[in-house]
Amino acid sequence: MSKPMRDFTHGELEWRPWVPPLDLNTARQEQLVALKVTPSNRAVGAYSLVLAHDPEALSERSPLYNGIMFGQKGLPRADRELGAVAASRINGCAYCASVHALRFTQLTKRPEVMERIQADGVEAVLDPRLNAILDYSAKLTRDPAAITPADAAPLRAQGLTDMEILDLTHAVAMFAWANRLMQTLGEPTTPAAQGNPL
Amino acid sequence: MSDDVMDQLAGLAPGTAAFELRRQRPDVVKHLQGSDDAIFSPADDGGLTPAERAASALRVAELLRDDALTGHYRARLATLDPAGTLARTVEGGAQITEGRWDAILAHVDLVTRGPASAERDDIDELTAVGLSSHAIVSLSQLIAYVNFQSRVLAGLRMLKGAS
Repeated sequence: MSKPMRDFTHGELEWRPWVPPLDLNTARQEQLVALKVTPSNRAVGAYSLVLAHDPEALSERSPLYNGIMFGQKGLPRADRELGAVAASRINGCAYCASVHALRFTQLTKRPEVMERIQADGVEAVLDPRLNAILDYSAKLTRDPAAITPADAAPLRAQGLTDMEILDLTHAVAMFAWANRLMQTLGEPTTPAAQGNPL
Repeated sequence: MSDDVMDQLAGLAPGTAAFELRRQRPDVVKHLQGSDDAIFSPADDGGLTPAERAASALRVAELLRDDALTGHYRARLATLDPAGTLARTVEGGAQITEGRWDAILAHVDLVTRGPASAERDDIDELTAVGLSSHAIVSLSQLIAYVNFQSRVLAGLRMLKGAS
């Protein structure tokens, strides 16, 4: 790896809003309730304060995100993170890709996987199981209309159950959502000196 | 048939393998439907009207070439905009004459096709045509949600077809 990967998971969310964040001092009760659960359980940052302008949507999306990314059993969490990285990379959200690449590496202790994706993108050659996950994630992100029943075969051939394939689908789809919010309601700001490898 | 929107769109009947598979993730089923309700039938729409919501969703579904989703939002829009004014701008290539709707539609296309190229000016244009912060966030959630929904639907169809 050419540059150290910044650890975003323990720092504040570096994100500059384009919509004025909600002022907690004037927030309605419904907005305060909606802010209690945030997808990654951080202190309330600008991103959540922007989303709190629509508390009804936020109140449902936060537990949906948590259920998809952290739900018990099923697809290992690291594989969900790989789906998130693939989607984020294709959708152009370097910040999102970096955060989830780091989580993958923390969970797997396999830094070489994200180093290969850093170098070669979603065309990276990994082991057959990870490549099956990566290929499906990339295709689902790029063009969901192109998915056919035949696309399940490579995943099943690598031992994924239908439950695990559903979990992967949910994770990739969630980043079709998350990447769009994060890049269009404001901008992730990453100091150039820190690098942003993905 | 279940009254769950994803079951309906994917054609999943109770007792079938894909239907039962989804029930192993009850939180996802619950809050996916909850998100749909919050986005399309909110108690407070923040000034983004139900018809504008349905028409924006129809545009996303068309951009993604998702026939089931397109039919779903076309039918919803028809009940909210019986004169077909918005539908013609989305599907018929009709001339757009209203600045507000023009700006919304442009934003739908941008966020669906090229979210990485969005800029502050794109939000400022929505503000300039009168959208509140609430309406802008609602529109953003809606566009992103339908992009999510289409991918979940693609996966469910794949699993249904491969079972």
